[in-house]
Amino acid sequence: MKSWFRQHHFAVIAALGNVRKAPGSFLFNVFVVAIALTLPFAGLTLLENIRPMSQQLSVDPEISVFVAPGATRAEAQALQPQLQELLKDRKARIAFVPREEALASLNAKGSLSNVIDSLGDNPLPDGYVIKLDSFGTAADAGRVDAVAAQLRALPGVDAVQVDSAWVKRLAALMGVLRTVLLLLAVTLGMVVVAVVFNTIRLQVLTQREEIAVSKLLGATDNFIHRPFYYTGILLGLCAGAVALGAVALAMNPLNTAIGEFARLYASQFQLYPLHPLAMAGLLTISAGLGLVGAMLSVQRHLARLN
Amino acid sequence: MIEFKFVSKQYSPDAIALREVSLTIAKGELVYLAGPSGAGKSTLLKMIAAIERPTSGSILVNGQDICKLKKASVPYLRRKLGLILQQQRLLTDRSVLANVMLPLMVLGDAKGEAERRARAALARVGMEERAFARPMELSGGEQQRVSIARAIVNRPQIILADEPTANLDRAAADKVLDALRAFNAAGVTCMISTHDEYVLDRAARVIHLDHGQVTGGAA
Repeated sequence: MKSWFRQHHFAVIAALGNVRKAPGSFLFNVFVVAIALTLPFAGLTLLENIRPMSQQLSVDPEISVFVAPGATRAEAQALQPQLQELLKDRKARIAFVPREEALASLNAKGSLSNVIDSLGDNPLPDGYVIKLDSFGTAADAGRVDAVAAQLRALPGVDAVQVDSAWVKRLAALMGVLRTVLLLLAVTLGMVVVAVVFNTIRLQVLTQREEIAVSKLLGATDNFIHRPFYYTGILLGLCAGAVALGAVALAMNPLNTAIGEFARLYASQFQLYPLHPLAMAGLLTISAGLGLVGAMLSVQRHLARLN
Repeated sequence: MIEFKFVSKQYSPDAIALREVSLTIAKGELVYLAGPSGAGKSTLLKMIAAIERPTSGSILVNGQDICKLKKASVPYLRRKLGLILQQQRLLTDRSVLANVMLPLMVLGDAKGEAERRARAALARVGMEERAFARPMELSGGEQQRVSIARAIVNRPQIILADEPTANLDRAAADKVLDALRAFNAAGVTCMISTHDEYVLDRAARVIHLDHGQVTGGAA
């Protein structure tokens, strides 16, 4: 076991030695791989920031039920038991909104107060706001439509407005983004493997005499391969760290721009760095890609040397 | 200890390196392989280290048929051997000491222990004081002595030396041969190929090769 550790220690030292022999070349390769990794890392950061927001929205789809304009307050309130009966199988919060309260709310928003004043009388009907919280994901929001259709069929209901459409659009957009990100990650992952493959190829060629001598002295294939594997892992790891650093650096100016945009929609939306565990995961993937590139290169080029 | 049974090696129809070679070398023996260039001396030594594989026949080392060795087992065979090549193949990007330590690092020895044993091996060939020199700073004879130190550092059972005195002056050649004889005296089987009559004059057993065939000293 001690010997096994020593051999790995020797391989790590040899890999670091390779870096020390050509630091400029190594840094350049780290830079190239980091560029390839930055894009999917940034995309993932964006998705991870949007995901909770979309989930939050999809959890509480909202339905507005407008009572017929001529209906009295008693008739409007009489709808409540029917609504409760209809939604008894679902978790739902039903709130009656008298037309006066709806007008006051509209006035409070300010921008439409002049228009409302010009109408003289309150044009708004009594209504209900139903918040459903039985849907777990944005994709499930489609089920709201079925509930809305049942509500429309109730006597005394003039109109039903469902706000799930844009939640569905957001869910679809997230789906597209996720697919694009996956394709981008696969493509750029292949770029990373190719860069590491070429880096290791050059190292194998540079060290072919050392490899040949080591083989004559009784070195196993594992002994010869290991330093190259560690070089690949090191390259992937360093590039991953640089890519995460670049994403973190880009967040400041991005948040300034996003903040101004979000304020227009009364939102406090800001981008936050990924969770440390997610970052560790990305570093592991980067190191893994480096290892794959190194393994492919070593298998191919050492077989040729043999 | 080493037995060749009807071993032939053919690179192409026109290039036959060995023809039905049969010979036996006992444990602890010192044997010289003599013959002109192209006689098959290097091929024969390379076959013992499984660097070359015979076209036909079998080679037994310590009773094991090395022709049937799997590729993964070859390194373990080589660890029992000390190889000294005409071109020393010392790594020029590191010190003499690091070169001699390499076989021990391959075995997974601790660095301190490897360094201690490498220094001892260098001392046995009179090169301890050049431990931190680079191979390119050494003369041909010194480089050959370093390659001997590298060959004996892991205490091999067999030393295979391919033209170890080629390109060396008499004084340097004597030092190299004295070192090899000393290891043989300590019980290590030595096979030394040479075409140098000066070396052969002092030899005990000589196997003569010509055009890939044994012409004398096989028994």
